[in-house]
Amino acid sequence: MSRNRIAVVVGVLVAFVIVGGILIYARSTSGQNVTFDVTVTGGKTMSPSDLTVHQNDTVTINIKSDTDGEVHLHVYDIHFETKKGQTVTQKFKADKSGKFPLEWESTSTDLGQLIVNP
Amino acid sequence: MILLHGFGQRYDLPISLALYLYAAAGVVVISFVLVYLFAGDQVGAKAVQYPRRPVPALVPVARSRWPHVIGGAIGIAGLLAVVITGLFGSPRPDLNPAEYLVWVYFWAGLLILSGLVGNLWYLVNPWAAAYDAINRFVRLGPVWKLPNVGIWPAVAAYFAFACLELTTGMANRPWLVATLALVYSLVTLAGMILFGRDEWLEHCEAFTVLFNIIGRFGPVEAERDESRRISMLYLRPWGVGLLQPWPAGWDRVIFVILMLSTLAFDGILYTSPWQDFNVVLEPIWLPMGPFGFFFIRTLGLVLLTVTFLLVFITFMELVIFLGRRNVDVKATIAAFALTLVPIALVYNAAHNYSYLVLQSQALIPLLNDPLAKGWHLLPAVAGIKPNFALAQASVVWYAQVVLIVLGHVIAVYLAHLRAGERFRTAQRALLSQYPMLLLMVIYTMTSLWILAQPITKETG
Repeated sequence: MSRNRIAVVVGVLVAFVIVGGILIYARSTSGQNVTFDVTVTGGKTMSPSDLTVHQNDTVTINIKSDTDGEVHLHVYDIHFETKKGQTVTQKFKADKSGKFPLEWESTSTDLGQLIVNP
Repeated sequence: MILLHGFGQRYDLPISLALYLYAAAGVVVISFVLVYLFAGDQVGAKAVQYPRRPVPALVPVARSRWPHVIGGAIGIAGLLAVVITGLFGSPRPDLNPAEYLVWVYFWAGLLILSGLVGNLWYLVNPWAAAYDAINRFVRLGPVWKLPNVGIWPAVAAYFAFACLELTTGMANRPWLVATLALVYSLVTLAGMILFGRDEWLEHCEAFTVLFNIIGRFGPVEAERDESRRISMLYLRPWGVGLLQPWPAGWDRVIFVILMLSTLAFDGILYTSPWQDFNVVLEPIWLPMGPFGFFFIRTLGLVLLTVTFLLVFITFMELVIFLGRRNVDVKATIAAFALTLVPIALVYNAAHNYSYLVLQSQALIPLLNDPLAKGWHLLPAVAGIKPNFALAQASVVWYAQVVLIVLGHVIAVYLAHLRAGERFRTAQRALLSQYPMLLLMVIYTMTSLWILAQPITKETG
């Protein structure tokens, strides 16, 4: 392949990456306050199970459980010490994007997930 | 617990639909740009000649014993660590170093690194190192001659390893991983002693065969003289080493297809079509009890592999038909199989990127107490938490899309050169590569599609 041809290929690739980047950044609407009221039943299920936010949103999660125990949000490493019938609240900034499980700590049961879109 | 790969948690966010569509469109556009650019290129043996730069300064280092001594020591230490921590450490996979060493550092890490820099397994293979060490004191010669088995034993071993990782659901049991590592070590050492070191490694040892293929993608090339001593080292562009001659045979074609299908299967396992497939076949596998899980997954892996193989052969028949030349079908198919390796390798890197970045850090705090005995060997590292900076979804998405497109471009280019070598006229070569291009677009789209699938939750 001649040099010119290589230049064309590289040019196409660079253009592709740049447009892709603009596409991603144009879509983000971050930095809002989001609150979730979550109910945990029997340390087994959670409703709603998917909590979706944008990166850099300030997230408030209120968890009400019908049993004593602990809900653990992975990577953010936030623990909700639940008491039967009471509501536990944690507030944090969603600074990491990805999909993070919420787990019933004592049995490692998956309750749901926090989805942080970039 | 969500168990993807051998073990461990993933925090990947599927690629957004917009990005998926964009990347898919990019792949198609770039493919046609490439074909346009390639029109009227070289044919014959010249087509597969590639540029390479000699690096004489590194030859003394490569010839010395040190790379082998250091690499071998790392390999043997790693293997011993897997066996000891696996057998005597914590039964919890997330607290046992054996799991990290095998599935993260070796299986994901060493593989991707070897694609980037060259065949590292050649240096760290613990069995080869142990054999060489023993051979210094006791002269070991082959007792029997290895029958002409091609690389079928390696195909079987690789398939078994893929089953352990993906279909048994038991890869997260440290004692099992350690026991199998021990058994495989004994078999490999016995094989080398009975049938000869290189004979066994090159035909029966799955990882040697695998890393030889991955190493072809890498940028380092060694030239050897008659006594197999390194006479010169070269640097070459990534991927072009896959154009070097390769023995023809269905064993090798199936090995490459297995590389593609096992990787794809790892991603497909957690998509909704797979869940539907599971539900439909429930009457068959549910009554089998615990064995049913293994059965349905192994069936899925076998079906996927057969599908990949049939699709590949169909497209190759088209390639040969359009190239209109009486070529040796088996040799041509084997030669083209290697041009798919770049797509598999970049998909592997894209698929494992964040897993590798995060889980590799999770091993560090375990060094304080590797056997879970309450030790405090390195209190300074005990509290280290994985740093998330390099695994942000946006970074991961970019890395994935760029990697996949790059791999696609390399693969299309290699297939073009290969067609030039195999078919007589430029026009025929160009015509013949359309089916291959279509196959590669389909394969790349499949990779992207898997990355964009909302990963379903799995309990168990």
